[in-house]
Amino acid sequence: MATDSSLHQFGNILLGGRGGMNPGQLKIHPGGFVWKKTGGGKVVDVAKADITSLSWTRLPKGYQLGVKMRAGSNVKFSGFREQDVASLNPFLHANMGISPDEKPLAISGRNWGEAELEGNLLSFVVGGKQAFEVSISDVSQTQMMGKNDVVLEFHVDDTTGANEKDTLMELSFHVPSTNSTYVGDEERP
Amino acid sequence: GDGGNSVKAGGEIVAYKDVNDIPTSRELMIQVDQKREAVLLPVYGLLVPFHIATVKSVTSQQDGGHCYIRIIFNVPGAGFGANDLPTQKFPRSIFVKEVSFRSSDVRHATQVVQLIKTMRRHVAQRESERAERAT
Repeated sequence: MATDSSLHQFGNILLGGRGGMNPGQLKIHPGGFVWKKTGGGKVVDVAKADITSLSWTRLPKGYQLGVKMRAGSNVKFSGFREQDVASLNPFLHANMGISPDEKPLAISGRNWGEAELEGNLLSFVVGGKQAFEVSISDVSQTQMMGKNDVVLEFHVDDTTGANEKDTLMELSFHVPSTNSTYVGDEERP
Repeated sequence: GDGGNSVKAGGEIVAYKDVNDIPTSRELMIQVDQKREAVLLPVYGLLVPFHIATVKSVTSQQDGGHCYIRIIFNVPGAGFGANDLPTQKFPRSIFVKEVSFRSSDVRHATQVVQLIKTMRRHVAQRESERAERAT
């Protein structure tokens, strides 16, 4: 069944997550995505029907494909080249009916912006661009500090085996009193 | 000119303009870009830049085989003082106030903390000299 035009295979695609990046093999077929960790273990299987949106983000090295799913979860695959983006776009459009959005990174180095919550994903957006995203499902505890600060504590996870030397443990946001967007919402960011 | 200085007049902060200028490494870890005066923090597989002008302080603490690195950023009312521009220009903004990392490499952690401290001191000194010249 599988012809060259109905299956795209990539040998070294990194799955991004809490502990950094894990390398693996990604197959993109008309019915969805299947990623298998190099050396076995973790498998990520995304069915086309579960995908709500796709996005391309230009990284310092290559491109990242963001996959958002109905359940509010998401996965990120990195390591695509420019020509992969060009060849995948028509494929994704034809087979999944989705045209990936361009999602540029915020790289100005500012620490002020907006926090957006969508599903499990908390995005920090600077100047309309995404600076970083964290998964709320990795947060073990949320605390209010005083009137204006929200502290997120992350699970300690030593099992991912990813390539990260420094692991994010805690992240706190300052919500000035002038910001009315999150009033009464801080307890469940 | 001011060389690597990237704090523009009017308090506008720009560490990078092109994503290609962000350093990469095989291993994800906190990095210091002295040329761009930026600290790069690994968050979910990405290296996220923070300009040194946003950094208020950095500390490290050793605990067993790990080292904890805590970076505190400037937020309204603390740090963004004289030219409290982010708050004035963006009153609805939310600020990253603090991040804490656990490092598996004590030597790297100590080095990074030292580099950030030195860079911060250097930039603060330069800015105060500039402010003095301007008066």
